[in-house]
Amino acid sequence: MRRREPSVTSAIEMHALTKTFGSVHAVADVTATVAPGRVTAFLGPNGAGKTTTLRMLLGLVAPTSGTATFDGRRYDELRDPVRQVGAVLEASGFHPGRTALDHLRVLATAARLPREMPERVLAETGLAGDARRRVGEYSLGMRQRLGLAAAMLGDPGVLVLDEPTNGLDPEGVRWLRGYVRRLADEGRTVLVSSHALSEVEQTADDVLVIARGRLVRSSSLAALRAEAGVGSMVRTPDPDRLGAALDVAGHTYRPEKGGLAVDAAPELVGELAAAHGVVLHALAGTGGLEQAFFRLVGEPEPQEETMTSEEVLS
Amino acid sequence: MTALVRAELLKVRSTRLSLVLLLATLAMVALTIAVSVPQEDAQDVPLTLDDPRLLAVVVGESLGVPQVVVVLLGVLTATQEHRYGTVTSTFLVEPRRARVLVAKCLSSIIGSLVVAVVSLAFSVVVTMGLIRSRGGDLTAGTLLWQVLGAGLLVLALYGVIGVAVGALVRNQVVAVVAVLVWMLAVEYLLVPAFLSVGRWLPLGTTFALLQTGPTLDLSGSLLAAPVAALVLVGYAVAAAALAVVVAPRRDVL
Repeated sequence: MRRREPSVTSAIEMHALTKTFGSVHAVADVTATVAPGRVTAFLGPNGAGKTTTLRMLLGLVAPTSGTATFDGRRYDELRDPVRQVGAVLEASGFHPGRTALDHLRVLATAARLPREMPERVLAETGLAGDARRRVGEYSLGMRQRLGLAAAMLGDPGVLVLDEPTNGLDPEGVRWLRGYVRRLADEGRTVLVSSHALSEVEQTADDVLVIARGRLVRSSSLAALRAEAGVGSMVRTPDPDRLGAALDVAGHTYRPEKGGLAVDAAPELVGELAAAHGVVLHALAGTGGLEQAFFRLVGEPEPQEETMTSEEVLS
Repeated sequence: MTALVRAELLKVRSTRLSLVLLLATLAMVALTIAVSVPQEDAQDVPLTLDDPRLLAVVVGESLGVPQVVVVLLGVLTATQEHRYGTVTSTFLVEPRRARVLVAKCLSSIIGSLVVAVVSLAFSVVVTMGLIRSRGGDLTAGTLLWQVLGAGLLVLALYGVIGVAVGALVRNQVVAVVAVLVWMLAVEYLLVPAFLSVGRWLPLGTTFALLQTGPTLDLSGSLLAAPVAALVLVGYAVAAAALAVVVAPRRDVL
């Protein structure tokens, strides 16, 4: 694939994006910018509003209020949407009786793309050998690749991927990471949604975290990691005494997987245990990132419901 | 719009369904003809073997099944996208959904005309063969030409109505069942029973257009063919317009 000029790609902008279904606020007042040349992870638990947000972005769901634009244009105002934005959405499907090649030919025909594009994107996503098989015979992982191939048909500057690792085997996940990284390095805008931070930890540059329809965090992943600090997992036959020592030292902890998860570096925990004569059976450092993510998306107290992201974080 | 219509036609061609349906349709056409052409010694039938209208009327009658089939094809064209989730990629390629729906209507007209031409050609050949073998009247006068022309028109319009129903109902099973119940049960009971109203229903207009009147003993009571044609065009345009206005407003979840 050719290297793109960054000027060709566009940023995604969401402004006060809101969607209510009846009395349910699926997405409330989401404002964010997704920058070109970077992989932006769109994180949140299932049901947080990720898919609805992405569908509003792509003109499939009409926002109750607010706007979502690509360089200032709504998706349905784009002159050549397939050449500007590629998307893989979770619920998007395939006719099981149609071959992969025909599926892509239908899209390429409607979008007036060059005839060779379907075969090119199939080769690029590793499906060239299965191009003439009916999609009904495809595995979930192959369908994900076919979805990605469809998104790449118009060689777009913006990629929107909704939970693309679903159904992929570990090898496929690794391949996808490399692929997504390369797309961003080519100057494209890449927005990838996921319900698990661990899935995007190695690829994302920026994170947007959504919980219960509200954006609770928008920053670089590095900033989130720095804030999250470090933690440790410790196992001891005497958790009560270690807990008391941690209390005194001012560290928080909670029981987890037969041990304690502590919000302190392993060095500190080890020294504290030695000072109090507590026996340890295991001690390991953990990134605090995952915990920070769970704190962000965790069920807020009722009075916190109207808080802004900064307040929740503090 | 040409690109969208070509894409819609490719959708229809790239699955096995259409070919299977077409072959099944021809089988049913043959069956209808076999039942409609009277036996040599038959008494008390609406049309006897020596009636010069026989060929045209039997050909017209044999279009009953293709008529249902093009509606089903239209319904499937629209509802399959929701059933299999391809609607998402369809609307990503062309976010102006009204244009997609218009393309579907146009492609349905083309597909229906293919079904019509194949069915009519097959029907004329089989009917002529059967009438000849029983020594009947083979007059192929203006009435036959009128039936052939009407057959093309009726099937094209029913194809559009099918797309419109599918776009409005979206649920494939509900749409298919509703169409079958309406076409095969409700209309077939209502039209002959309450002819003053029934002749204005879609089936009533097709009876008039396809010259099915004589066999059903409804001859004089149906609309004149040109009026019937206008009424049926009205139904198709109204259904398509309603679909184009209503369907694109819905969220695609």
